[in-house]
Amino acid sequence: MNMEVEVKDKIYSLGNAGRIFEKEFMPHMDAMYNFALKLTADEDDAQDLVQDTCLKAYRFINSFEPGTYAKAWLFRILKNNFINDYRKKSRGPSKVEFEWVEQSISGEDEAAEPAYFADLQAETVNDMLGDEITAALQSLPVDFRMIIILCDLEEFSYEEMAKILDIPIGTVRSRLHRARALLKTKLVNYAKSKGYN
Amino acid sequence: MKMNCEHHQDCMQLIQKILDGEASVAEKEAFYANKDLCMPCQKGYELELSLKENLKSKCQLSCPDQIIHKIRSKLFLLLILISILIPLFC
Repeated sequence: MNMEVEVKDKIYSLGNAGRIFEKEFMPHMDAMYNFALKLTADEDDAQDLVQDTCLKAYRFINSFEPGTYAKAWLFRILKNNFINDYRKKSRGPSKVEFEWVEQSISGEDEAAEPAYFADLQAETVNDMLGDEITAALQSLPVDFRMIIILCDLEEFSYEEMAKILDIPIGTVRSRLHRARALLKTKLVNYAKSKGYN
Repeated sequence: MKMNCEHHQDCMQLIQKILDGEASVAEKEAFYANKDLCMPCQKGYELELSLKENLKSKCQLSCPDQIIHKIRSKLFLLLILISILIPLFC
């Protein structure tokens, strides 16, 4: 008896679908959990989001091409899941931050970047604890947080990020630049409040 | 060495592009030839590099084993269900 998972372009036997899942998807669990936790800022929601993503990936495994970049495919599913089911629950950005996001999304690239990063030195960032940097990252609006995670933690290319986020590559570049600028302002303020040099 | 950079905004965007592995060879050569002559560019490069490295090394967590176990259990149940249901409809 040859049983098959839902068919679209091709058919995988249940055994093959399971093998593809283990070989291609399971190695990315740490990255998916990190992404989910930083998006939801809640451990229970992050666990549910990762589980939902895995089950959805299994359900649509026939649209995955073995040998292609499974991590990008999974992150795209996770991001869509988050936007559809979890985003409303997560903390919204402040008005000022939201305006920055809006400018970034509408492509107003030339808005001036704050000029006070001279106060932030590489040594200060090196001295900061992981929790402090994570807290600054968590305080960013979710669209900014998302793009920094994809680029700096997960090392996706601009082209891959454009596909995951469904945005043009020019928007990836400008949003990333703004996200980093805002992260630096958060770190400057934090460093000052904690008395870092 | 220059203490002010008249193209600082553009230079910061180029620095990020270089560190993200998205700059062309010509862009990299142009920047590295200039970097040691311009203090704001040198400091900007060091800051962007440290941010990228610290985010990568200090903000990562492992997925708890219980999630992996739960996912495998759910998939196993799903497989059993499919194995039972498919013959009924074939």
